[in-house]
Amino acid sequence: MLSVTGLYKSFGGKPALQDVSFKVEPGEIHGLLGHNGAGKSTSLGIILGMVEPDRGEALIGGVSVQKDHAGALRQVGAIFESPAFYEYLSGWENLRILASYSGRFDEKEARHVVAQVGLTTRIRSKVGSYSHGMRQRLALAQALLPEPKVLLLDEPTDGLDPEGIKWFRDFILGLRKERGITVLFNSHLLAEVEQMCDRVTILQEGRLVYEGTLQSLRDEAPVYEVALEPWNDARTFLELNGVKVLSPGKIALPAELDPAIIVAALVGSGIRVSAFAPVRRSLEDLYLEITSKPSKEQALPFLPLP
Amino acid sequence: MNFLIQLLGELRKLFGRRRTYMGYVVFLVMEAIILTVFKLPASQRSMRELIERNGLGFTEYYSSLTVTYWIMGFSMFLLGSIYFALVAGDIVAKESEDGNLRLVLARPVSRLRILLLKYSAVSLYTVSFVIFVGITGYAMAVMALGWDGGLFIWNFKMKVFSAFPRDEGFARIAMSSIGIGLSMITLSSIAFMFSCFKMKPAAATIVALSILFVDMVLQEFPFFKPYEQYFITWRMSNWVYLLENNISWAKLAGSYAFLFGLNATLFLIGYTVFRLRDFKT
Repeated sequence: MLSVTGLYKSFGGKPALQDVSFKVEPGEIHGLLGHNGAGKSTSLGIILGMVEPDRGEALIGGVSVQKDHAGALRQVGAIFESPAFYEYLSGWENLRILASYSGRFDEKEARHVVAQVGLTTRIRSKVGSYSHGMRQRLALAQALLPEPKVLLLDEPTDGLDPEGIKWFRDFILGLRKERGITVLFNSHLLAEVEQMCDRVTILQEGRLVYEGTLQSLRDEAPVYEVALEPWNDARTFLELNGVKVLSPGKIALPAELDPAIIVAALVGSGIRVSAFAPVRRSLEDLYLEITSKPSKEQALPFLPLP
Repeated sequence: MNFLIQLLGELRKLFGRRRTYMGYVVFLVMEAIILTVFKLPASQRSMRELIERNGLGFTEYYSSLTVTYWIMGFSMFLLGSIYFALVAGDIVAKESEDGNLRLVLARPVSRLRILLLKYSAVSLYTVSFVIFVGITGYAMAVMALGWDGGLFIWNFKMKVFSAFPRDEGFARIAMSSIGIGLSMITLSSIAFMFSCFKMKPAAATIVALSILFVDMVLQEFPFFKPYEQYFITWRMSNWVYLLENNISWAKLAGSYAFLFGLNATLFLIGYTVFRLRDFKT
């Protein structure tokens, strides 16, 4: 449904994106993650045709954003962090004006969307009087007019209270369920991404460091909590066998290595194994593990066993 | 049809802002001041001298039409230009600065169309503003001086001297208000072009006004007198030829073709810069 291929972009000679490619399948909620300056906004800018790539292309529904801007964006609705509306106009007028750029404004459809986002009673008030949460709801309404196939969400829950975040999450999940809408979701709130996204793309310093499901990210380098004695001997043994020691008592195994073999080898080497249990890591753990490494090592988080 | 609907939206945005009305209020106040001044005996004395020196009757030509000409002809360049530059300088740069433009650019609409819409809105504002000043100026002058009386024109700089009876004077004033409006689009075009650059709205306004005033000042230098036809403000002043006894259509066509070509060039430069800009958080 949405793909970017070989994106390169630099600003003032400083590379912002280097050979970034990823795909979002139809009906998928896809998280785009990375530190500040990792290239997330530049990627979204290129997908929306606001930023011209030096090389590469973004396709939406098979239509190139760079070659047929209007054709590609006809399928998209977008929400930005702190959406800037025309404050001196009402919410309804904002919707009417913004939807007119897409070629049509259907009042019935607009009323339905406004009701969906819960803004019916305030839609005729000036946007200047709206709270942050109401602005985000209005942003969602304008993104849904006219009915898009893809939603691009740039930090949509930033600044919302927990209730607002939950409402937003449920709304997006509901949209996917009802309409099969495809969502590309850029957020710093990793817990949100973890709850919503089927797959994630992680960028670091303008390069792609991971693309896939959260489960395969976990499987790629499962982490175990261990109790081994003597620890120093155990550590040397593990490192010699390509096992990454994250901290005393915490290790990461390469995906292809069977933990039973390691346990047997440890015992065979005279090391006492009193605990060896898998740890379920959150997206935050995984994200920090990946992005704390130098970006050149990317894609292969752990070295294979010799 | 879509373009018209989008243009209505653009006008709604433009006229929804309070600052758009600032110029209207200032001109209403200024018209009232000019009319008060024209009622003063000292002011009437100098007008009487000017009119009678040219062999015309003061009571016939010291009229609402003549006062309207003075209001429009002498205030639009100095005072009106501020508001045209302000509105046109804002039109792209302010939306870019405030972030509204990102919501528009995320829509399936080309950058050329976005700029055409904004340029059309600014042009309509410019022409309608001049017409507004003409109508309100005339209405206030009628309240002060009555309906009767012809139109007396004396423009030393453009060498135009003429007098018209009331009905023809009225038609000439109406034509010249459209002429001024079309001329002032050039100033709006300069501000619009800078508004498309990556700069603050205030900077776009100030740079446009600076160009206008520098052009105006240089034109007054005797050295540049032989080249006056190359000055933007001289061309913009050519609307006065609509008030000649025998209108020189060729001269007018030449000047408006010059201004139209300049406006198109300014738009294209603005578009090229805007087209090449990256819009990012």
